[in-house]
Amino acid sequence: MTTKGVTEEMDSKENEKPMLILKDIHKFYGSNEVLKGVSLEVRRGELVTFVGPSGCGKTTLLRLIGGFTDISSGDIILDGQRINDLPPNLRDTRICFQNYALFPHMTVAENVGYGLKINKWPKDKIAARVRELLEMVELEAFGDRMIDKLSGGQQQRVAFARALSLEPKVLLLDEPLSNLDANLRLVMREEIRKLQERLHITTVFVTHDQFEAMAISDRLVVMKDGLIEQVGTPIEIYERPANEFIAAFVGYVNFMDGRVESIDPATKNTVIRTEFGKLEIALEQDDIQTGDDVLMVIRPESVSLSIDCGSNRQNVLCGTLKTYMYAGSIAKCTVGIGAKKMIVDQYNPRDAQQFQNADRVEVEIPRSVHLLKKKI
Amino acid sequence: MKEKFIAVIVAVIFSVALAGSAVAEEINAYMGTSPDNNAKIVKFIKDKTGITVNQTFQSFGEIEARAKAEAPNFNADMIIGCGSPLAFMAKKNGWSTPYVSPGWKGVAEVFMDSKGDWYNIANFSFVLVGNKDRLAKAGYKMPESWKDLLDPKWKGEIVMPSPLSSGTANMMRFSFLALYGDAEGWKFIEALDKNIHHYTRSGNAPTDLVGRGEFMLGITSDENVKKRLNDGYPLFWSIPAEGTGYDGTYALIFKGTKKLATCKKIIDVLGTPEFSTLMAEIGYVTPRPAPNALYGKTLPKYIKLDLGKAAEDKPKNNDIWKQKLRTDFK
Amino acid sequence: MAAAELSVKLQSSSGSKVKDFLNANLINILAAFLFLLLAFFLLYPIIMVLIKSFQGPSGFTLQYYQAFFSKNYYYQSLYNTLLLGVINTVVCLVIGFCLAYMTTRGPWILRKPLKIISLVPLIAPPYLFALSLIILFGRNGLVTRMFDLHWELYGFSGVVISQTLAFIPLAYMMIESTLMSLNPNLEESAYDMGASEATILRTITIPLLAPGLLKAALLIFVMTIAEFGNAAILGGRTPFLAPDTYTMITGESDFNMGSVLSVVLIAPCILIFFIHNYLLEGKKFTTIGGKPVASEPRKITPLIKVPFVIITTVAAGAIFVCFAVVFVASFYKILGVTHDIVLSNYLDFTSNQAIYNSIRVSFVAAIIGAVIGVLLAYVIVRGKFFGRTFIEMVSLSGFALPGTVLGIGYLLAFSAPPLKLTGGIMILALNCVFRFLAVGVEAGISKLHQIHIEIEEASADLGASFLTTFHKIVLPIMFPAFIAGFIYTFMTAIVSLSAVVFLVSPGFDLAAVKIFDAAVYGEIGIASATTMKLVLIVMICMMILNYISSKTRLGSSMKKTVAV
Repeated sequence: MTTKGVTEEMDSKENEKPMLILKDIHKFYGSNEVLKGVSLEVRRGELVTFVGPSGCGKTTLLRLIGGFTDISSGDIILDGQRINDLPPNLRDTRICFQNYALFPHMTVAENVGYGLKINKWPKDKIAARVRELLEMVELEAFGDRMIDKLSGGQQQRVAFARALSLEPKVLLLDEPLSNLDANLRLVMREEIRKLQERLHITTVFVTHDQFEAMAISDRLVVMKDGLIEQVGTPIEIYERPANEFIAAFVGYVNFMDGRVESIDPATKNTVIRTEFGKLEIALEQDDIQTGDDVLMVIRPESVSLSIDCGSNRQNVLCGTLKTYMYAGSIAKCTVGIGAKKMIVDQYNPRDAQQFQNADRVEVEIPRSVHLLKKKI
Repeated sequence: MKEKFIAVIVAVIFSVALAGSAVAEEINAYMGTSPDNNAKIVKFIKDKTGITVNQTFQSFGEIEARAKAEAPNFNADMIIGCGSPLAFMAKKNGWSTPYVSPGWKGVAEVFMDSKGDWYNIANFSFVLVGNKDRLAKAGYKMPESWKDLLDPKWKGEIVMPSPLSSGTANMMRFSFLALYGDAEGWKFIEALDKNIHHYTRSGNAPTDLVGRGEFMLGITSDENVKKRLNDGYPLFWSIPAEGTGYDGTYALIFKGTKKLATCKKIIDVLGTPEFSTLMAEIGYVTPRPAPNALYGKTLPKYIKLDLGKAAEDKPKNNDIWKQKLRTDFK
Repeated sequence: MAAAELSVKLQSSSGSKVKDFLNANLINILAAFLFLLLAFFLLYPIIMVLIKSFQGPSGFTLQYYQAFFSKNYYYQSLYNTLLLGVINTVVCLVIGFCLAYMTTRGPWILRKPLKIISLVPLIAPPYLFALSLIILFGRNGLVTRMFDLHWELYGFSGVVISQTLAFIPLAYMMIESTLMSLNPNLEESAYDMGASEATILRTITIPLLAPGLLKAALLIFVMTIAEFGNAAILGGRTPFLAPDTYTMITGESDFNMGSVLSVVLIAPCILIFFIHNYLLEGKKFTTIGGKPVASEPRKITPLIKVPFVIITTVAAGAIFVCFAVVFVASFYKILGVTHDIVLSNYLDFTSNQAIYNSIRVSFVAAIIGAVIGVLLAYVIVRGKFFGRTFIEMVSLSGFALPGTVLGIGYLLAFSAPPLKLTGGIMILALNCVFRFLAVGVEAGISKLHQIHIEIEEASADLGASFLTTFHKIVLPIMFPAFIAGFIYTFMTAIVSLSAVVFLVSPGFDLAAVKIFDAAVYGEIGIASATTMKLVLIVMICMMILNYISSKTRLGSSMKKTVAV
């Protein structure tokens, strides 16, 4: 009994050590610095997503981890071992490219078994492992097919199976879903997530699609211009973005300028003066003081919309309904408030008909608004 | 806009490219002397008559082949410089236009056809050349007779032109056959072949190859030797004791030319003493006597030849040549 | 009044009928027209050569073939030619592959210079190498004298060396473009799965490049056995078919035997062409997504690096030295004999006319060739008529057509009225057009396969006529193929000797022929200077072309399509 306890303790200690550490990584192409000092720790069994607009350096970072590109300075530590100078074939990372990079002159089974063969597995073991992998991705009947006889989704699975064949310490996925059509993407991302959780495999995922990133990841790494802007869980990123860029990047957002008038130290009830009057919110962050100029991050779906103006309730602004686009489960509206426009998403819009004919509407700003401190 | 701009550029380049240079009086001629001698003759004609002569360099043999292939639709108006076989054949087959040129009055009859079908603008022969440096290094002397060339020490060190492409080589062949008689002549040619490194395409090429020291000895056309000596090639030249052969450099007007008058003007100017002087300065023996650049006033000893028979025998001799000299391959 | 109206109406309706008919059948009409062109300028001359080889003074005869096959000499010639072709092809492929590998996978700083060195010889006549080899390694060559060596340059080995150097650029160009088209992620995936460099080469790169390598091999083989400049200059007494054919025609005007030699030369080419097509059946691999991008430099393992670097250095060095030698020689009156440095070689104006002619011919040929190539590609890919495959085969057969054959064919077919074309610039241009057509057609075909027919259908759907669709949709997309055909034809036409040498006539001399004559004649200085002038002028042409096409938006892809 005691021994078991000891090993468990060791396991958990082992588990606390990050699987992958990036230390102050710089990358130059000529005089062009594409990574400007990136540091990150990826925990064991975690799915981390690099997300950002194109040109932000996310793919370069992934290729650096995979060993396809030399780093200019910094360290990459995989499971405690510095791997800066190891070529890809000696690193315990496996990559799945955006275009899958399946070998077109080989069958599905040969593709999946390629790494095993290279690593000199005996034939029968290769066969067994390939079968196991193909079962895992539900392609057991396709082993003898040539690659070009598969659909996009099937090719995706083969690429995934091939990358997993050698049980890498870190799996690198470079926009693996971008070549699939919208529905298949949803299905595949769920499958990838399920498999990843089941195998408990540390995974770095690269995408430019913020919604995909949020849906699939444990943590997001939002990048811009070769720097990490914010690291956090999807909720943190969405609800408490570190800056304007992130706020706008992870979803549509209405920004409203204001100045903090007062913060009640006990209740954290905060009054903010805006050009449309005073708004009251429940402050959930520590970096805001009275007198700060702030930007209110108002998500369209957090605003509630009602007909009739002049109820004079707290946090309610009156405006003109400019557009109302009914789309079943959601209605997308634009409300003009003063000279500004606000985007409002109305979910489950049962009163759509009334709104379609309405002119003046009320919008209610929620109390849970996130504030960004304006830089002076 | 851009596309249009490019289209215009392309169109301009295209039309410039297509536009010929059709201005003054000009003719196309096959010319078989060496490239720089061709250029000299072209310049002479231009200076004296204003006529532009377009030409490509070909050896005598090649002009002959080409004329045979093209007959009777020649791509040139005239020939300025071909060997006797073609000149005689052209007359026989009616490929040439007879023209009695007043410019040639007073020239010895052997230099022109009685009907005016061809004119011999200059005679040339073949000589032996040797590379001074290579010979000195090897400690060899220039051979004094043609037979000396059969010495095995020359093996792989002699070049001469191929009678399949060179008129000069054909002249060498019929000269040797005339010198030794058919049977002995062929024996000589076969024996010589053992020492020949290879046969060049053009009759002048051995001069350069030997001059640059690639080979020790060469049997080559004489008219270019003077220029090479002047250029500074370390060359010996000699005419072995038995003497040398000769052939003419013929000019004729093709039948069917649309520029007969122009061609006639050229024939006229080729008969002038100035032209003879030019050719003699190059190293030719000319229709109008002029001091020869290579030989001076004493002309070499000639082997007695029947050019007419030589021309007739050419195809037959080519066959024999191929038969005899090509069998030693595996 | 009414009658007039009616007739107008009739006219317009019949007019529109004609228009409709044209619109519906334009592709077929175009196909028929192109086929006629192919038949007339490609098939007919070849058939003439075939006929001539069987046509004795009294009708059909096998005597010329009998003569060929009963003489040891010709056997030897055939054997030498094939051996030269095989050795040359293998060596060129290996070296071309190493060079291409280094310029696409090697370190960044090496890529550009290596690429330039590898490509520049494309615009110099192939026998430039024979010239520089003589200057350096001839019996009285600079190197030979310096070290007092005794070797024999003249003969089989000399021809192999010069011919190999001459065709490395072509091999490089073709292999480089296939290497560029290979998605780098494929190799990276294998690398990622634990494969070493050598294993990647063996299991991924080479199997995937096989079609491209085969194509390159075919082209090099055919060009090698047909291009006779090096063999004529350095062959000594070693017989090869191409120079033999040349002598047979230009020296002896024996068209019967010349035709037989040509047919014998063409036979192995056609055979290889069919083997090539057979091997490639169903081996056209497609990879999914991803634009072709330059691979990042790898940490190449010493096992691969050492031989590759050695081969690359030797090859690039040899090419460089040969060019340098020719450059130096161009300033000497007689290199190695006298030591005066002169400019007279450059001032030789007869060669200027020839260079001007060459550029004219190549330019005209390139324009016509590129246009016909694009149209043919279109007809082959989009047409639905009977005989489409035949047209495809004929237009691609240029890959397997030794230049001498088409040269003699043109001489036979077009030298007598009413089809008399000899003695002008057009016959030279047309000859180049149809000899080098295959590359443009192939580039066009592969470009068209990338366009979905839906785009054209969409355009047609919007009411665009066939011509409008072709003009607005197809042409812009095929522009890179047009440029590829143009550049290939231009560059190959300007230096190629094997066909045009039969067709030059007074006033229409070409630079390649001029240089060959000067080289054969021994005017090394003139030959070198003319080569240098040609190289310089062609470079300027290419730069202008590059500038023009980079001005058009589509031209950006040109560089990638320069090769096939």
